[in-house]
Amino acid sequence: MTAVEVTGLTVRYDGATALDGVDLTVADHQAVALIGANGAGKSTLVKALSGLVRPASGTITVNDRLAQVPEGREMFPDLTVDDNLRLGAWRRGRRNRDTQRLYELLPDLVPLRNRKAGALSGGQQQMVAIGRALMADPEILVVDELSLGLAPLIVGTLAAHLRALHTDRGLAVLLIEQNARLALDLCDHAYVLEAGRIVLHGPSAELARDPRVTDAYLGAGHE
Amino acid sequence: MRLLLLGAVTLAIPPLLPERHLATFVLFALTATVTVGVSLLMGYAGQVSLGQAAFYAIGAYAAGLLAVHGAPPVLGLLLAPVVAAVAAVLLGAPLLRLRGHHLAFATLAVQLILLSVLASADWAGGAIGLQGIPRLVGDDLGYAYAAIVVLTLAVLVSRNVIASRPGRALRAAATSEIAAAASGVPVGRHRLAVFALSAAMAGLAGGVYAFYLGYLSPGSFPVLLSIEFVVMAVVGGLGTVAGPVVGAGVIIVLVQLLNTLGTQPGMPGYAPSVLSYAVYAIVLITCVLYLPRGLVPALRRLRIPSRAG
Amino acid sequence: MSDLVGYLLTGLGIGSGFALVASGLVAIHRVTRVVNFAQGAFAVLAAMLTSTLLAAGLPHGLAEVGGVALGAAAGLLTGLIVLGPRRDSPGTTPGTALIVTLGLGVLAYAIEVLIWGDQPRSFPGVPGVAEIASARVPAHYLLIIGVAAPVFLLMALFFARTDLGKALSACASNRYAARVVGIDVRRMGLLAFALGGALGGLAGVLTTPVQQVTFDSDVTLIVNGFAAAVLGGLTRPVVALGGGLLLGVTQTLAAGYGGGAYQVEVALVLMLTVMIVQAARAR
Ligand SMILES: Nc1ncnc2c1ncn2[C@@H]1O[C@H](COP(=O)(O)OP(=O)(O)OP(=O)(O)O)[C@@H](O)[C@H]1O
Ligand SMILES: [Mg+2]
Repeated sequence: MTAVEVTGLTVRYDGATALDGVDLTVADHQAVALIGANGAGKSTLVKALSGLVRPASGTITVNDRLAQVPEGREMFPDLTVDDNLRLGAWRRGRRNRDTQRLYELLPDLVPLRNRKAGALSGGQQQMVAIGRALMADPEILVVDELSLGLAPLIVGTLAAHLRALHTDRGLAVLLIEQNARLALDLCDHAYVLEAGRIVLHGPSAELARDPRVTDAYLGAGHE
Repeated sequence: MRLLLLGAVTLAIPPLLPERHLATFVLFALTATVTVGVSLLMGYAGQVSLGQAAFYAIGAYAAGLLAVHGAPPVLGLLLAPVVAAVAAVLLGAPLLRLRGHHLAFATLAVQLILLSVLASADWAGGAIGLQGIPRLVGDDLGYAYAAIVVLTLAVLVSRNVIASRPGRALRAAATSEIAAAASGVPVGRHRLAVFALSAAMAGLAGGVYAFYLGYLSPGSFPVLLSIEFVVMAVVGGLGTVAGPVVGAGVIIVLVQLLNTLGTQPGMPGYAPSVLSYAVYAIVLITCVLYLPRGLVPALRRLRIPSRAG
Repeated sequence: MSDLVGYLLTGLGIGSGFALVASGLVAIHRVTRVVNFAQGAFAVLAAMLTSTLLAAGLPHGLAEVGGVALGAAAGLLTGLIVLGPRRDSPGTTPGTALIVTLGLGVLAYAIEVLIWGDQPRSFPGVPGVAEIASARVPAHYLLIIGVAAPVFLLMALFFARTDLGKALSACASNRYAARVVGIDVRRMGLLAFALGGALGGLAGVLTTPVQQVTFDSDVTLIVNGFAAAVLGGLTRPVVALGGGLLLGVTQTLAAGYGGGAYQVEVALVLMLTVMIVQAARAR
């Protein structure tokens, strides 16, 4: 079964084409990386998957419950961490909004639960954003820029959490990452998006050796 | 050429109108004059004024008071826009720091304060009003021509502002203030100038209005009047030369038609006011929702394809 | 001294009315960014309907609930027009929305004059005069305070304790994030409009016995409500509540000690000062 299947997806903003005939599949329990330069259209794909932008053409099939960690974390800054988390389960109804199990899963959030989300550090916010997405009880988690603006140490912790969720709980993952090495390392399969088109895809191990990838995305600047 | 034709037609209208329609025509030309200013302010400075009737009142009272105290009516008429513009500059210096709904409410507040001051000021006749303002010209036809002159002046000024370099800069500023500020345009000063100019237009129209009515009271300048100016400006099309004139014309004609209907025998006494409120509201809402840029731009778009075909 | 207590209580009563209008404005503005000029009209409609229901023999309480319900319905309708009738309607920009609500306010005039005429209306409230700390205050003012206070408490609990309240706050806090977690931002906007309508309606039915309404009373109500709300930047309900009470008390004191002529000016000058100071601070 596939968790997500995208075929021929085209998205335009006021005439400018952001995605142009994108095909992409994430199987159940699979971890897939999507890499690409700034402006390639990665976030647009995430928005299309969550129904936040409307495709001009193409089909999007989402078979499993999908939740996203949006680019830039998008906290509710005036609300407490606990309220941010609760609202992650908004679609699931009141009975499923208890945050207790999440704190067991991500104990780092426990001391923060009554703080205003806007007053947290970037790393803490990213943890809350992941927790908020998990509150939706997703079968596939879409993470847009896990490492954006975060110190390497914190990125390591977050990546470890993500890996554990994937390997231990079978959560399917679509990881959008500027840090291609991290993405290829975490995921089994990868796609490369350039100017709205998928230009390459295949098993991560293969892509990591592909000179087109190593030159453009795994250069010295991406250490 | 088109302008000349338009001018000739306009000048030919008043003598052809029966007495009661002449009054409507005067009202239309004066209202359109104020609306030209409102449209300029909203379209070019991006500011909603809910208090434009205040400047109409200031002009009217300035002209009326001067005339009542023996000044020649023409002097009163000439000073009316000056007084209104000076008031606008004094008020605008602090108020134009405000944007959007803040400015809208601030201008509304200014009008309410003015009305309340006028109502308690003995020198202005208080709530009863200022009486015995002498006539400026002999008959209604004369007022119709005076109103045409005033309207023409406002339209010409507005056309020049729109075509001018500061006008274009302001238009840009209405959409992106940061971009305009970055381009080195003194947006604040231009904006104040447009505010003063729109007040001057209202003041000039108010001056004619004072002599035409011969009597002024705070009740002649309700908040609703300010709202009506905004409605006409929006309906006609903001920031266009013809928009405010068309907007004022369409609405005044509609209100007048329904007024005739509402005063038919058998109609209840409240019918005219209900109908006129309904016209303002429904025309405004329909326009904003379905013709967001107003009548004039919409008509223009209709004409272009028909010309080509 | 007893004068002062009297003025304070009267002022708090009037101020509660302003605070209700203001919190309706804030409820709508927080969630939708729309400054709702029709807010005063909700109060007028509610008061007018209540007077009719009372005249038709409905008991107090029921008639007022009817008025508040009309306020809520008018709020919802306003929301539908401003935010667009369909789920994926683009809606209007906040600037346009102000103009649309302005138009709806004028539409309310047409409806009100059509149904209720253009003469002032009122209906009896709590009769008699209460004596508190040797001050004599018309008892109805105490009713206004007595009803408004628990309403504010309930609102605070609603926003702080219920998920629906939190979802409303979430839309105010970050609309995009609200959409990300699946909150229907438009429906929350409609809810805010209905809530705002009910609060406006409540202000109308509570204050009419001490301050009769005319179809165009909405201007005074909206100006006072806006003045109270703008203190908290139109986004902070508690500040709006405080602002409303402050405004009511100041006006009553000005009227009591100043001879009664400058009530409206107090609100207007306060509002202008606050806005200009806020704008000066912002740069
Ligand atoms: N709301 C919008 N309106 C207009 N254009 C947009 C909008 N959002 C994105 N774009 C454009 O669409 C293209 C793709 O943007 P997108 O955000 O999907 O890129 P991205 O791959 O996520 O980039 P980044 O790595 O910087 O996050 C860009 O050219 C961008 O300018
Ligand atoms: Mg992106």
